[in-house]
Amino acid sequence: MLDKVWLVLLFPLLGFLLNGLFGWKFKRGLINLIACGSVGLSFLVSLGVFLDLLKLAPEARHFEKVLFPWVVSGSFKTAFSFLVDPLSALMILVVSGVAFLIHIYSTGYMHDDPGYVRYFSYLNLFTFSMLLLVLADNLLLMYIGWEAVGLCSYLLIGFWYEKKSAADAGKKAFIVNRIGDFGFALGIMLTFVIFGTVYFTPILERAPEVLQYGGAAATAITLLLFLGAVGKSAQIPLYVWLPDAMEGPTPVSALIHAATMVTAGIYMVARLSALFLMAPVSMLVVAIVGGVTALYAASIGLMQNDIKRVLAYSTISQLGYMFLACGVGAFGAGIFHLMTHAFFKALLFLCAGSVMHALAGELNIQKMGGLKKHMPVTYWTFLMGTLAIAGIPGFSGFFSKDEIIWKAFSSAQGHFLLWFLGAAGALMTAFYMFRLLFLTFHGKSRLTPELEKRAHESPNKMTVPLIILAVLAVIGGYVGIPHLLGGGNRIEKFLEPSFGQVSKAVETHHSGGVELLMMIISVLIALGGVYLAYTFYIKKTELPKKLAERYRSIYTLIYNKYYVDEIYNAVIVQPLKFFAIICWRFFDVIVIDGSANGLAKLVGLIGNLIRRFETGYVRNYALGFVVGVVIILGYFMLR
Amino acid sequence: MPVPLGYYLGLAAIIFTVGVIGVLVRRNAIIILMSIELMLNGANLTLVAFSVHLQELSGQVFVFLVMTVAAAEAAVGLAIIVMIFRNRESVNVDNLNIMKW
Amino acid sequence: MNLTLIIPEIFLFLWALLILFVDFFTAEEKKHRLGPLSLVGIVITVVLVVFSGQGQAFGEMFSADYYSLSFAIIFLGSAFLAICTSIDFARERIKHQGEYYALILLSTVGMMFLAASRELLSMYVSLELTTISLFVLSAYLKTDLKSSEAGLKYMILGAASSAILLYGISLLYGITGTTVLKGIQAELVGSAFPGPLLVISLVFIIAGFSFKLAAVPFHMWAPDVYEGAPTPITAYLSVASKGAGLAAMVRVFFGSLLPVTSEWIPLFMALATMTMVLGNIVAIRQSNIKRMLAYSSIAQVGYILVALSAASELATTSMILYLLVYMFANIGAFAVVIAFYNHSGTDEICEYAGLSRRSPFLAISLVIFFLSLVGIPPLAGFVGKYLLFLAAIQKGYYWLVGVAVLTSVISLFYYMNVVRQMYFRKPTKNDPVKVSWSLRLALVLSLIGVIAVGVYPDPFVSLISKAASVFVY
Repeated sequence: MLDKVWLVLLFPLLGFLLNGLFGWKFKRGLINLIACGSVGLSFLVSLGVFLDLLKLAPEARHFEKVLFPWVVSGSFKTAFSFLVDPLSALMILVVSGVAFLIHIYSTGYMHDDPGYVRYFSYLNLFTFSMLLLVLADNLLLMYIGWEAVGLCSYLLIGFWYEKKSAADAGKKAFIVNRIGDFGFALGIMLTFVIFGTVYFTPILERAPEVLQYGGAAATAITLLLFLGAVGKSAQIPLYVWLPDAMEGPTPVSALIHAATMVTAGIYMVARLSALFLMAPVSMLVVAIVGGVTALYAASIGLMQNDIKRVLAYSTISQLGYMFLACGVGAFGAGIFHLMTHAFFKALLFLCAGSVMHALAGELNIQKMGGLKKHMPVTYWTFLMGTLAIAGIPGFSGFFSKDEIIWKAFSSAQGHFLLWFLGAAGALMTAFYMFRLLFLTFHGKSRLTPELEKRAHESPNKMTVPLIILAVLAVIGGYVGIPHLLGGGNRIEKFLEPSFGQVSKAVETHHSGGVELLMMIISVLIALGGVYLAYTFYIKKTELPKKLAERYRSIYTLIYNKYYVDEIYNAVIVQPLKFFAIICWRFFDVIVIDGSANGLAKLVGLIGNLIRRFETGYVRNYALGFVVGVVIILGYFMLR
Repeated sequence: MPVPLGYYLGLAAIIFTVGVIGVLVRRNAIIILMSIELMLNGANLTLVAFSVHLQELSGQVFVFLVMTVAAAEAAVGLAIIVMIFRNRESVNVDNLNIMKW
Repeated sequence: MNLTLIIPEIFLFLWALLILFVDFFTAEEKKHRLGPLSLVGIVITVVLVVFSGQGQAFGEMFSADYYSLSFAIIFLGSAFLAICTSIDFARERIKHQGEYYALILLSTVGMMFLAASRELLSMYVSLELTTISLFVLSAYLKTDLKSSEAGLKYMILGAASSAILLYGISLLYGITGTTVLKGIQAELVGSAFPGPLLVISLVFIIAGFSFKLAAVPFHMWAPDVYEGAPTPITAYLSVASKGAGLAAMVRVFFGSLLPVTSEWIPLFMALATMTMVLGNIVAIRQSNIKRMLAYSSIAQVGYILVALSAASELATTSMILYLLVYMFANIGAFAVVIAFYNHSGTDEICEYAGLSRRSPFLAISLVIFFLSLVGIPPLAGFVGKYLLFLAAIQKGYYWLVGVAVLTSVISLFYYMNVVRQMYFRKPTKNDPVKVSWSLRLALVLSLIGVIAVGVYPDPFVSLISKAASVFVY
């Protein structure tokens, strides 16, 4: 099966091509079969690859497959070739599995949409791009997947392009991502210059010899790469696109937030772990950006009233946790959290979609309430997801998040402050998630009468994926029970070959007692958050309003997301526009009519030379030409 | 005593420069075309002077071909100018700025 | 035998005469069939070019090697695509169709000679054959004020720039005593310090070629001429004319001026920077799509100049590959513009509103071509740009590559503006835009090119790297 790993990519690509080219002729059933079937087959192949990998001895779990040469020019070689190791095997399993469930859910959710075929062909392309990104065995191929993922997100976020907000959100996502990609592209080039190759295996093997520990080269490379990760994984300061990205159809949000797209940054940092370990400064930057984002985004999530926005900020915050883990060297814990997060976040988004489906697109949680009785399946599955993300013991999120928070404290690169960022974020997470749950499903109904009548449970096509994801969100964590609780932390052991020397570098240096204490603290924190939400939104419902009154300014600040979008607009977008206008006026408009007649004015002309561009007068063009020659001559003569 | 090479080159440079200035300052399209011919002739004179100086024939062959090309260029140029004149009844290049910026 | 090597050029020349001849005996309403007839001639020439032998003829004047082969294929390809896009346009809007097609072919003949010549005299003459044909073509819409204005501007500036080029050549001849590139190189290797005369001649030659390439500050003719010329000619001009300039420039600089690289490399770096920055920034404010594409093509030249200043085998490979890639994307984009113009008679970007609903095929094609021009993988533009930048990086020009990557991010703005019009605005009219078979052919060929070179560039790169190995770096 390992040899057939390219089939994982082939199926979604075929699905995209079939539906994209001929879909408009197909019947619904065939479209569904192609779209879901292709991703389903891809999942089965991934499963086969994964199982085959498990059969091998841990050291031998490394397989490269060359499909065909891509660019060969002189010393520079790149091929379409794939790398299968524990990390990528786990990733393709998660990506194709979650994507498969989302595809099935979408057949119900998008049932009445006129762009049905277009939607599924994009969705397949999206899955394909992400799988390509994950399977690539060199940076260039990874970059292709990386860009393709960005493009697909643009298409899908702007899927309902009749809506201006959707179109703008798509554009925003694309452009913000390009800023990150700019860093990533430079990082790749720098890596190539220093290592002479873009392949992961030699880069990671030779990193300790080629790079000096803490040297400028290592820091520059990793910071540039991290800039790419920040853009793609929506961290401070490039997170602004993700909350807007919920303008797309809800299953797309689920896909973006859970399986594809945003996890790419984490994956890239984890994949290049050996490079990052050579640059302690970059590691610290990663950890701080991650930790601060975790707290910051969670604090924004506290006040949002839009069900999808709360989830969007929670994604940013959870991604922050993953970067925090990577930053302290606990790459395994980061990937573990990536996996459990994929389960529960996909679940939460799909539940939100189910709620919207029932309420004709209503998003404001202040106008919901009491939905528990109308949609029991959605409620129970949402509860599972909430328990998981809040980190309640026994649910998947607990194991992975606790691992991260513990590592943030205990590992060699860890620090108490990092632990604090994580723990405070965890408190907020528990709070806003339960606030969301209570406001949506509990309490008295605040629905309008017609919505009250309309509210219904979603069809089986949508609830079955919910139930499967709920089960995964509960049990997904049991592959990584820490030693302390008698487990073997199997997932981190499994991932170990991918992070070779890493695990040694971050050996814990604390006793079991401290770990137990920390674990109890984080459980208490989570429960505290739940309790707070319970008092605020079930017991004393008037309390939040009072507090909002009293702390008006803080409330508005947070409610308006710290005005970051406005600041960006003022500081970056407007000056850029201004600059363009200046250039345009300067070169092209001001310049007309310099009235240059005759030799006598030649001297005066030279002063005006630079302003005389594109006036429409052919003589000015000739003058520009001659001046160009004169300037170049002057440069040579005066050198 | 033959005229030294420098004189030829100097004259050629002057002719060339006069041509350049003509292109820059004249408004009549036909005169601009003539100025371009001057530039070409400056280059031709340089080629011939060097050719004689170096006792190497290819420079003079070059000049013949340049003259042919210049004739072709002038023919096409005049045709375009005639067309412009028909459209606008003017060959003043300063009147031609529909397209700008 | 000398003549066997130039059989493809002779054939294409005769075919152009054949077109003129047939034109004479063709009824006015059947003249649009001359278009397909010239396409046949081009296809046959491609076959001849591929199967004709390699070697040198007429002393050093003509050399059939992989370098001239790759450029000839690019020129013939862009002539093919340009004629495809011309057929409907010419039928409806152009008198004297026979001369129109014949001039395109003659101009292509000139370019083919140009790419093959290794001697300044033949280079100059073939360059003139190319440009004089293009002067006529850009003024071809006789009664159209814009077209005639474009023709006059192009003619005056083009003739002046080649006069400057010629003066530069004459000085170089005087310094080295030869017009053969190899001989010039041999002379220059010996000279210790380049005198002021050499500098002047270098600058004039650079200016003359930069004009053809439309590199800043010698770019100013390009927006006006591109806007005014008949759109298929604009498409041809933006690719083939640039290609011709590039072919000559690389031949001269890599074929004879490598001994004095320190003289011209900083200059090309400066030109590249200015070209990328100005082209991309001014393009943002354009409202006419042809003018926007004109500035975008100026910017694209900037990227090529980045590699030109790298002066290595990879640089040559990447430049030729980029030209190929750019040919598909740019002519493809112009094909969409032409299809739209044929239908609606306008080039304003705001008129593209809602095109995705009126003609989804045109809209998605234009998006793909634009994405390739930006350099988004897996389209061909990415491979091209990647190799260009790699060549510069190998030489350590990090800041130059930084500027290049940054400006290509900026370029996204103006391309996306058109995409936004097409996809996110409501159409003012609802009639679908008709696309004829010939335009459809051009579009499909360009699409195939853009995708094929992007997904599997290896065969193209390996062929082109043979072309790059004709120079000794």
